[in-house]
Amino acid sequence: MTPAGTGPARRPEPPAATTAGSLAARQAELVAALVAGGPPPPGFAPGPLAAARAALLRKRAGEVARHWPLLAAGLGPDWPAAFIEWADGRPTGGGLRDGWDLARALHARAALPALAAEELAVREAQFRYDGHRAPRRRRSPALGRAGGAIAVQFAGRVRLLRPTRP
Amino acid sequence: MTTPHGVGIGWRPEIAGFVAELPGLRFVEVIAESVPTAGPPPDDLVELRDRGVTVVPHGVRLSLGGAEPVDPARVAHLAAVAQLLAAPLVSEHIAFVRAGGLEAGHLLPLPRSHEAVDAVCANIVRAQAELPVPIALEPIAALFDWPDDELDEASFLNEIMERTGALLLLDVANVYANARNRGTDPLALLDRLPLERVAYLHVAGGAERGGFYHDTHTDPIGREVLDLLAELSARHRPPAALLERDGYYPPAAELRTELDAIAAACGFPVVT
Repeated sequence: MTPAGTGPARRPEPPAATTAGSLAARQAELVAALVAGGPPPPGFAPGPLAAARAALLRKRAGEVARHWPLLAAGLGPDWPAAFIEWADGRPTGGGLRDGWDLARALHARAALPALAAEELAVREAQFRYDGHRAPRRRRSPALGRAGGAIAVQFAGRVRLLRPTRP
Repeated sequence: MTTPHGVGIGWRPEIAGFVAELPGLRFVEVIAESVPTAGPPPDDLVELRDRGVTVVPHGVRLSLGGAEPVDPARVAHLAAVAQLLAAPLVSEHIAFVRAGGLEAGHLLPLPRSHEAVDAVCANIVRAQAELPVPIALEPIAALFDWPDDELDEASFLNEIMERTGALLLLDVANVYANARNRGTDPLALLDRLPLERVAYLHVAGGAERGGFYHDTHTDPIGREVLDLLAELSARHRPPAALLERDGYYPPAAELRTELDAIAAACGFPVVT
């Protein structure tokens, strides 16, 4: 049930037809520099821009922790650094998807903490998430697995069948 | 519902219990995007409203400062939330949050250029045409400026206020943060803003990190921000001032102390 991959990195949509140097084009360049690893737009002071980029990553980490409390708690002192390292240069899909993608990435390299594995298993049983679009609630019964954790969902109710072994 | 009066607090699910028990509270804000419009509003908000507490929807994702026209579906949602909560006004930011198909995840500053003033005013007017109530606009805290600003901050804000007729949501912590990070005088900015257009104030905590003051909403309110709030109130007392806290919620006693400090700085009755 759990895709082994990390999901493709989200890429910006092709830029709309904007005139170079227009406000639209310059706003797009700035956002790309702040959240997608784009080059710094000309003329901006690098120090303040770097501070803004770091602040955005910390804010994202806070949002992910709200959606995935056990992922953040499971990583303990490594949170939020682990998220920030993963998220740097990767545009956000929102706190739910960002946390999901990170949990799958950690799972794929056997680095997902036990608590977080249970959280991921429950989510995988509840929702269908293809790594590209917003997760959708499953209509039919499903199992979710992550690490040793297994969650079962039937008629919308989820139970953790087997917690992760320590 | 009456317009905001006195000391308010940003309603968040994590502190709903605390907010519900504030005896003198008459005003809260709710993040507009968090309110579903397909059904009744959250019970906690209904209970507050039934007590006579004014609930102001505060939008954070309209991106009024985007070069593209504001998304009509987002405006329609904000309008629906205002109606659902019988709000006397809504608020949003002078900022953009997305561009080129990417979400920034936070409020970003506009260049203080005539082109940007035109763009944001066009979007505000588009939103005003669809909203059932007035909109108050909040100038943001920015960690950086654009390299080719044509206007200073007061001229930029005044131009937008004049052209749109909007109300002002003045965030004292944002004013403090910008002045501190730019090395300018916050009082000089306040002296040039139309304080009589203030619908209410925001007050929040922040922290110094890496040589910059960050308006975090997760730290205690500093003495300097409270002093600025008192200075502002002495110049022109606002109708209302609201505490924004967005995480790392402290014990209830600390939140009460902050609400009392805001009341004291503005000369409002305590709500705790």
